[in-house]
Amino acid sequence: MAKPIDLLQGTLDMLILKAVSLGPLHGYGVLLRIQQISRDRLEIQQGSLYPALYRLEHQGWIASEWGESENKRKAKYYRLTAAGKRRFQTETDKWNRMADVIAGILSTTPEEV
Amino acid sequence: MTRWSRLGSWLRTILQRSRMENEMDAELRFHVEARADDLVRSGVTRQDALRRARLEFGGIERAKEECRDARGTSFIETLLQDIRFASRILRKSPGFTAVAVLTLAVGIGASAAVFSLVNAILLRPLPYPDSGRIVLPELISPPGVNLGSEYIPWGQLQFRMLTRDAHPFQTVSAFQNDSFNLTGAGEPTFLDGFRASQEFFSSLGVSPALGRAFTAEEDQPGHEYEVIISDRLWRERFGADRNILGRAVELNGYAYSVVGVMPAGFAFPRAEEMPSSFNFPEEPQLWVPLAIAAEPKPGPSELALIGRLTPGVTIQQAQAAMDLITKHAEEQDHRWTGWFNTRVVPLQRQVVGDTRRPLQLMLGAVCIVLLIACSNVANLLLTRALARRREFTLRAALGAGRARLIRQLLTESLLIAVGAGAVGILIAHAGIYFVKTLGPSNIPRLREVTLDLPVLAFALGVSLATGMLFGLAPAIGAARENLVDSLKEGSQKSGGSRISPRLRNALLVSQVALALVLVVSAGLLTRTLFQLLGADGGFNAERVLTFQLPLPALKYADQDHIVTLFQNVLERLRAMPGVQSAGIGETVPLGGEGESTVIRTPDHPAASQKEMPFANFTIISPGYFSAIGTPLLRGRDFQETDTKDSMPVAIVNVAMERKFWAREGALGKQVGPGSTRYPLLTIVGVVPDVKHASLREETAPEMYVLYNQKPWPSMLNMRVALRTKAAPAGVTESVREAVHAIDPDLPLAKVATLATLVDDSMSQPRFSVLLLGSFGVLALLLAAIGMYGVISYSVLQHTQEIGIRMALGAQRRKVFRMVLGQGARLAAMGIAIGLVAALGVTRLMARFLFGVRPTDPLTFAGVSLLLLGIALLACYLPARRAMRVDPMVALKYE
Repeated sequence: MAKPIDLLQGTLDMLILKAVSLGPLHGYGVLLRIQQISRDRLEIQQGSLYPALYRLEHQGWIASEWGESENKRKAKYYRLTAAGKRRFQTETDKWNRMADVIAGILSTTPEEV
Repeated sequence: MTRWSRLGSWLRTILQRSRMENEMDAELRFHVEARADDLVRSGVTRQDALRRARLEFGGIERAKEECRDARGTSFIETLLQDIRFASRILRKSPGFTAVAVLTLAVGIGASAAVFSLVNAILLRPLPYPDSGRIVLPELISPPGVNLGSEYIPWGQLQFRMLTRDAHPFQTVSAFQNDSFNLTGAGEPTFLDGFRASQEFFSSLGVSPALGRAFTAEEDQPGHEYEVIISDRLWRERFGADRNILGRAVELNGYAYSVVGVMPAGFAFPRAEEMPSSFNFPEEPQLWVPLAIAAEPKPGPSELALIGRLTPGVTIQQAQAAMDLITKHAEEQDHRWTGWFNTRVVPLQRQVVGDTRRPLQLMLGAVCIVLLIACSNVANLLLTRALARRREFTLRAALGAGRARLIRQLLTESLLIAVGAGAVGILIAHAGIYFVKTLGPSNIPRLREVTLDLPVLAFALGVSLATGMLFGLAPAIGAARENLVDSLKEGSQKSGGSRISPRLRNALLVSQVALALVLVVSAGLLTRTLFQLLGADGGFNAERVLTFQLPLPALKYADQDHIVTLFQNVLERLRAMPGVQSAGIGETVPLGGEGESTVIRTPDHPAASQKEMPFANFTIISPGYFSAIGTPLLRGRDFQETDTKDSMPVAIVNVAMERKFWAREGALGKQVGPGSTRYPLLTIVGVVPDVKHASLREETAPEMYVLYNQKPWPSMLNMRVALRTKAAPAGVTESVREAVHAIDPDLPLAKVATLATLVDDSMSQPRFSVLLLGSFGVLALLLAAIGMYGVISYSVLQHTQEIGIRMALGAQRRKVFRMVLGQGARLAAMGIAIGLVAALGVTRLMARFLFGVRPTDPLTFAGVSLLLLGIALLACYLPARRAMRVDPMVALKYE
């Protein structure tokens, strides 16, 4: 297995939004979901996950409530709010444009300059 | 977010703080356990799994802290954090904290104590319902006529004219003081009381606690034998008997029945609440109906009035209505012209009366103490801020903003201030006790002074305000530090920022200046007190016993009877072995104002009714002047050979001679009471001015007449003066026996030595000196501490420089003088500024002074020298320390 790559600055928020947009998740669930979608190619610092969750909740993009986990334990579940959905949309658009531009730049050959 | 929702969020944050912490714990615990579960499922042992899960997670505490940050911190949370930090810092230097807190506590405590006086006396409404409507309609003397007092008593006829006209009062009542001899039940007791017309109690809005007020029928001549007694009399004399109503008591020989008992604490009017010229008793014990006839006959004017304004009527409207009544009276009879002028005075203002200005003086003085304390603490903080520069620099380098630094420093200051406020309240409590115990009895409402809610609020407010005041300058100064410079300098010893020494010196100079102003004021008051002590009152107070001899009116109805009694009393007293001389007089020195009356002087006929001359008119017996120690300046004293059949004679004081016969002298001149029914008297002697109410009073013209030459007013309330051979207290009992041997029903009232009367008359100036003096000492002490602090810090800062100088050959003495010189320069600057300020301030004090000018050079020079001396003394220790600096040690010090 290839060594997982570190997360780019500011992308964790986007990944969390994506993860909970697929359905309500508790914190550990978010971690698992991101690892699952990325097929373990991303390294997420577990300690930095929760501050990000709290920040997103404080900004009103995700909301939380206590529920029961799959193994009958009390867990805090996060879900995307309407504002979070809009935010996720604009972030995604921005990311895609940015990725295009960066990819375009990086694939530039000397002949094209 | 709106302000309210933000406030709500703060509150939630505060209230839900622990719940959120718990939830955060639970959430993180769930994470670790869920991860461990997964690991167990992949074959790791439970214990190992938990350990690995925790390791993978990383620093839990750091994550929590970041979570808290992410959630957003509230103002209050930061504040709590600041407070925790500040108290840790303050605990770390207990010496500094103690000095700062105590210094400030003294300032706050003193000002809270003074404020409690101001609050109780000036600000709090009187203890009567709707007291703003209670007024005193005063009769004022005609313009240009000096009666010795601005207020003159109302006549019965005038009161009737007022009540029959359209007056602005819901209720209005007349009252006059009287003395009552309570007999028939044990020792005869002399009681002060008032005769008051029916609406007296309803005007004040107070009803008897037991029984009822007077009825209209009882307020008529012939029906007035009902009495309402004070709570104190009820308890002390009647054992708080609840069945007292209807009981008969004997007053001045008449049978009265008790109809009411007033509530505890009610004693209106007290002497200190009324104009001093009224000469009211200190605390009345009973009230009887005044019973003015429907058509009063002309008689002496002896009434005071109290009224409750009709609801909605302002003072101005009341005054206008009273002016109209004046106009009606003058239209009715031109003789009223000038003698029916009124002024409606709110009771509150009358009660406060002459106390307002001394209180303002105290308030000013205590503000100065507070300011000095503040600037002292500010200086301490500045010095400390210098020592903490490294800490600030470090914190700034780590990203603390300027605002954040200022806020942290302010929190420390406020914490000191709040601590000082708490200690200050204790000090204020002690101060209030001190004032209530030692304060002069003539301060109105002193018994109402307490450490109540407004005073506590004041102390808190002052604490916070001073915290901001002394905390802001050092905080801004510290935050203004240039980061780069501080880091480059590296050391805290060399120099310090440029702003701080200048600020500290300015604070020190202002402290010295403020202290000078305060001490000069205290000095002037002290000089006043000594001038008063040495003032010539026109008498000699050594070994003189005085007492009042009130006579029951029924038993002593005619004057011959009274004269015989007095002759017997004097004879018996003079025969006592311990008595040197004895005399009877209407007044004794400093025993209160006497009677004043219109007089006629045939060689100076008055041009009109308005210009009728006035003089105090005092009845005395032979021996009176030698008893009180007043020397005859010219002519002769009254003698036993002056009888009712010999030539009527009078003695006048210097003020009277100067007023009427300045050039030719008074001896041999004729003078008499205004009414021609009384014969003219020939002046046979001149005596010095004898002071009546205070040693600082401007004495009015006074004439003395003989008690046995049928003088005009009654003699039911005379005073006896005895000059004794030994201490006067020793003869008191035998004097009482001597009087009772003549008439066992005669009470002796107001027994006091003349020295005590003199002492009492000076209680107010003495108290002012005591208060202002202690404030002055505090100010000096604080200024000295401030001086010591600044100079010793400066020595510490310049240790290296001093060391170099000494290494280069500077003499120790020179170093010593250099340090002293630095302190002296600052002190001189403060003294110069203080002198200018004091010149302005003491001018406002002129009315408190006696025998000393507000610009008294002796006081100004003395206080300046004193301050300079104290400043040098405060510099002495640090200067000596500087002198002893070892060059080697100083140079290695870095």
